[in-house]
Amino acid sequence: MATHSLAARAQPAPGPRRRPGTSLYFAAGLLVSAVFVLPLAWEVLRSFQPASAITSPPSLKSFSHLGLGNYRQLLTGQDDIVRNVVNSLIVAVATSLLTSVVATLAGYGFGRFRFRGSGAAFAVVLVGFMVPFQAVLTPLFLEMHYLHLLNSLIGLALFYTAFNLPFGVYVMRNTFLQVPQELVDAAKVDGASTMSTLTRVLRAIVMPGIATTFLYAFLFSWTEFLGALTFVTNGSTYTLPVALSNVETNTYGSVNYGYLVAGAVIAMIPCVVVYVALQRYYVRGLVSGAVKG
Amino acid sequence: MAGGPRSERGQSHDMTLTARAEHVDSPAGRPVARGSSRHTSRSVREERTGLALVAPAIAIVAVFVLFPLGFCVYISLTNWPLVGPYHFVGLANYRALVHDSTFLQSVTFTLKYTGIVTLPILVIGYLLAVFVRGNRFGATLFRTCIFLPFIVGITTLSFLAEVELQPGFGSVNVLLSKLHLASLQTVWVQNSTLALVAISVLVVWLASGLTMMLLMAGMQGIPDELYESANVDGASWWEKERFVTIPLLRRSIALSLIISVVGSFLAFNQFFIITDGGPGTSTVSVVMEIYETFNTAMRVGGASAMAVVLVVVVGLITFVQFKVLRGGDA
Repeated sequence: MATHSLAARAQPAPGPRRRPGTSLYFAAGLLVSAVFVLPLAWEVLRSFQPASAITSPPSLKSFSHLGLGNYRQLLTGQDDIVRNVVNSLIVAVATSLLTSVVATLAGYGFGRFRFRGSGAAFAVVLVGFMVPFQAVLTPLFLEMHYLHLLNSLIGLALFYTAFNLPFGVYVMRNTFLQVPQELVDAAKVDGASTMSTLTRVLRAIVMPGIATTFLYAFLFSWTEFLGALTFVTNGSTYTLPVALSNVETNTYGSVNYGYLVAGAVIAMIPCVVVYVALQRYYVRGLVSGAVKG
Repeated sequence: MAGGPRSERGQSHDMTLTARAEHVDSPAGRPVARGSSRHTSRSVREERTGLALVAPAIAIVAVFVLFPLGFCVYISLTNWPLVGPYHFVGLANYRALVHDSTFLQSVTFTLKYTGIVTLPILVIGYLLAVFVRGNRFGATLFRTCIFLPFIVGITTLSFLAEVELQPGFGSVNVLLSKLHLASLQTVWVQNSTLALVAISVLVVWLASGLTMMLLMAGMQGIPDELYESANVDGASWWEKERFVTIPLLRRSIALSLIISVVGSFLAFNQFFIITDGGPGTSTVSVVMEIYETFNTAMRVGGASAMAVVLVVVVGLITFVQFKVLRGGDA
């Protein structure tokens, strides 16, 4: 059965091999990892430099005055971005929760129920998957203007949810298809309703699928840029990336690079934390194959 | 995808039975626990419940994905103004694209960019996957580290690249001048070749982690026995890759290529943030051209026609992705 073959597939090669050259492998691995992690760590270090040190010719001395100046300015300065960080968090959390709930219900429907039109409904999901959001922003702008969803965090979250749902529904449908039929039957014999079967009996089994859906939706919406740039034109509704791009393109004076680096580091943190906490669910999503670049 | 409920419940739920079942249902709405009526009443409820469960997802996708898609095609056939009436202009917007030198330049540039980054992402991603696929001590840690830039994302990294490419103090220039490879004063974004090089390096660095993860997942599905018998035959490392791994990995390689090509076709953030399309319009990608046509030039019909072309191209590629997915191997 599907569950069984997936479990078998997820099994990596048998037990740790005590091969010669293990320490050589480890050293090489650290070197390769450094290529990918050091630049990120370097930027974290840079964010503690005063802006004047960031923009002056480099010297060892410029690292002698590390401090929280950039962050203090970002969070308490004249044009602070606390509001933008909060906006980004609201949008990302709302998108991930809404996507998870709606995709779970739909996955339950597609995976566990027979109904007329289910083929057509699933085709809608698949077509949705094939449409890149980058291409339909113009008509979507006009539509959201008409629906009063421009300059609105709710509007942005709905937009992100819509483009994360096809992947989420696909993942959740596959998750529900792998639930053993005996479990559902047993719940029915016990007189459990549709919803209590879901929330009591199936919850634990489908949790990994939900975590996958949540993770992808969060990582997508937390620093999404083009959509936010298009649908939000009002400073108080800016998400973090849009606020940073305004810092960057500030033509009325010099760009505050300290501000920019510290802001980017703030944008980095939630991604890294959420990913490291949930990374095994990320791989589940990759294995489903329905990933967007 | 085997073992779904459909295959296990037989074909007795046809429409006549379902319609009749509504009258047989017990008053309390509970299934009558006897005979065929139990099956049929359950199937009516099942029909309704199933529909109700998928309805919210379908509604959201229809309103925010499918409707805009249809609307986009519609607008592209009109001279849509920002205010006032409009009328149909047939394929005029599409014909204009053929003579729109900025649009054509953005297409050429996007293809060039895609051509530059695709192979390095695949090759580096493949080698990284080979490196981390086993379960040797540290492999899991290395996977996480190598994948981090992709997780941080192109938006954030573009802002940082913008800072570090600055002449005089950017870390990239500092490092390269210490190695005597470039001047400290190199202005990366004022030369279209240098800008493309810098952005390509950034993207390859970021995206090869994704290819690594995709290929690694495929590699872990290849049974160990195949490698063991290859060992018995005295196969070299390359022979094992060439005759065992790569043939069994075709599906994963196809998927990662599709994902990276689609990603390149849809590139926007790095160009908008790092070069702002400059110098001139030499680094404007297709998506950025659509954005500028709508937001700056306010040519709604023109932007929509470009978008329809993009949807068709990307949609076709993604369709192939699903075909590959259904094909299934390793």
